[in-house]
Amino acid sequence: MTAEPHVLTVTDEWKKPWPSIDQDNEAFWDGLKDHKLLVWKCKDCGAVYWPKAYCQHHENQPFAGNCEWVEASGRGRIFAFNIHHMAFHPGFREELPYHYALVELDEGPLISSQLVGDNLPSDIHSVGQQVEIVYEDHPNEGFTLPKFRILEG
Amino acid sequence: MPKHPSSGKYAIIGLGVVAGPQPDRSERMIAAECARLAIADAGLTRDDIGGAIDLRRTGGGGDRASYSDTFTRVLGTKNNFYFTMGRGGALAGLGIAAAMSYLDRGIADHVLLMGAVTDWSQSQVSRKKGFRGMAHTEKRGYWGKPLGDSRAASHHSWMAARHMAVYGTTSRQLGAIAVAERAWANLNPEAKMHGRPMTVEDHQNSPIIADPYHLLDLSQVSDGGIAFVLTTAERARDRPKPPVYVLGQGFGEVSRDLWWEKKNFTHMAVEPAKSQAFGQAGLTLDDVDCAQLYDCFTGEVLLQLEDYGWCKKGEGGAFVESGAIGPGGSIPVNTSGGLLSCYHLGDLTGLAESVRQLRGEAGERQIKDCNVVLTTGHGGELVSPGMCSIHTSTLLGRHA
Repeated sequence: MTAEPHVLTVTDEWKKPWPSIDQDNEAFWDGLKDHKLLVWKCKDCGAVYWPKAYCQHHENQPFAGNCEWVEASGRGRIFAFNIHHMAFHPGFREELPYHYALVELDEGPLISSQLVGDNLPSDIHSVGQQVEIVYEDHPNEGFTLPKFRILEG
Repeated sequence: MPKHPSSGKYAIIGLGVVAGPQPDRSERMIAAECARLAIADAGLTRDDIGGAIDLRRTGGGGDRASYSDTFTRVLGTKNNFYFTMGRGGALAGLGIAAAMSYLDRGIADHVLLMGAVTDWSQSQVSRKKGFRGMAHTEKRGYWGKPLGDSRAASHHSWMAARHMAVYGTTSRQLGAIAVAERAWANLNPEAKMHGRPMTVEDHQNSPIIADPYHLLDLSQVSDGGIAFVLTTAERARDRPKPPVYVLGQGFGEVSRDLWWEKKNFTHMAVEPAKSQAFGQAGLTLDDVDCAQLYDCFTGEVLLQLEDYGWCKKGEGGAFVESGAIGPGGSIPVNTSGGLLSCYHLGDLTGLAESVRQLRGEAGERQIKDCNVVLTTGHGGELVSPGMCSIHTSTLLGRHA
C-alpha cells in the first residue's frame, strides 16, 4: 500500500442519492472519513466480511460481538465490471460514460464502486486487474466515498 | 419417481389479465379488474373467494398505505384473509405456496392471487424529472446508489459480465436470447413488442445502457395486472376451464452465499428449488414441454438454462445461439415473449403463459401436447454487491 492514500476532494454540491448510514455501518463510514477502509473480521477465526455479518464458520457471541472492524489493505482485483452509457439518475449524467466494478478485496470480500483514473479496461471479458482505493472526500456533506483506481504495472 | 402427496392436489381454475398501457387507471382499479376477470374465468362469484393475496415486489415492506384501500375492498370480495407478499419478481411462486396452506386447512375454498403494476405510466412521469426507467420503484439506501449503481440494469449486468469473463460468453449470444423471445412475442398479439421483429444485428445496434447490456437486453416497463384463482383438485373438476394442477414447488436462496462465496454471479439458487419441485412432481427435465424462465434481463435466462441442466455450465451462449429456446427449438422458453418482449409483471407473466399453454389457449404459439410447464421467479433485496437472491420453481401440469 502506498504511504499516502489517494484522495480526491469534491466541493460541488451533492446531487446524487445519499449514502445510507445506520448503526451497522456508521463505523465503516467514519473509517472512510479517516481514509481507512474497514472490513469486519472475526477475532476467533480470522474470517473477513463486508458488510457486517455474523461469522459463518462457528457460533457467535450476541450481536456478533466476536467480530470487529479492522483496516484493510485497500487493494483488490476487479471481479466484474460494467460501463454505464446511460444515467438512470440525473446526478450521474455529467460523468458518462463511467465504469463501475465489483472488486474482490485482497482480504476476500466483494465490494462495489466506481472506477476512476486512467487505464480503465474496455473489454468486459477482461477482469482480474489490480486496483487500489481512492478516497473521495465531500467535506461540505461530511462523508467520504470509496472509489477504486487501476494500479499500474 | 414417486410423487409427493401434495402433488396435483391444488389447481388454478381462473386467470384474469389486464395488459398494455393503462395511463388513466389506478393500480387498485387494474388490480380489481384483473381479479374480476379471474373470478369470472373460474365460473365463480365474489362471494366464493375465501382469501386474497396481493403480490407485490416489496412484499410487506413499504406499501402499507394500500392496506387502507385494497383491491378486495374495491371489488367487494368476501375474503377472510388478505395480505401482501412477494420478493422482487418472486411473486406467484411464493403466493401459490402460501395459498395452498390455507386451502389445505379449509380456511378458504378458493384463494385469489393478484399482482398489478403501473410502472409504465409512472415512468412517463418520472422521465420528465430526469429519471430513467423505474428509479422510483427501488428503495433508497442500497450500497451502490450514491456510487453509480443506480438501477437493476447496472447490478444485474454484473451477472452477465462475470459470465462473459469466466466463460467467454458474448453480447451476440445474449442477443440470441432477446431475439428468440421476440420471435415468440410475434406469435402473441398481447405482447408489447408484437409486430416488431428483431435480429441479433438490431440487438447489437441498440444503445448500450450499461455495457455489456444493450437496451434490448432489458425487460419491458409495463402497466397491467394478472390474477388467478387457486382451489383444491376436487373443486377444480367441475369448473368451466380445464384445471391447471400444481405438481411441485421449490425454493432456493443464496443470501448466505452472497458476499462470501461469490457464487451468485454465474449461478442462481436453482439447485435446491429444482430438486424440491421435480422431486415432489416425480418428474425430470425431459418432462418439461416449455419453460417460463424469469427474464428481467437476458443474462438470467442464460444462467437458468445452465443451472437447470438444459446445457452445461458455461455453454449457455452456444446453446441459445443454436436456436434451442425459440419457436421450433428443443426447449421453448418464454413463449409469450417474456418480460423482455411481452410485459413485465414479475413471475406472473410466466405464470399466465403457463396456464394458457396448459389449457391450450396459446393460439399461434401453442406448444403441441403441452402437459408440463416450468415457471420460475427471481428477486430479492437490491444490496450490491449482493444480488437478487431468491429463486422459485413451480411445475404446473395438465394432469394431476
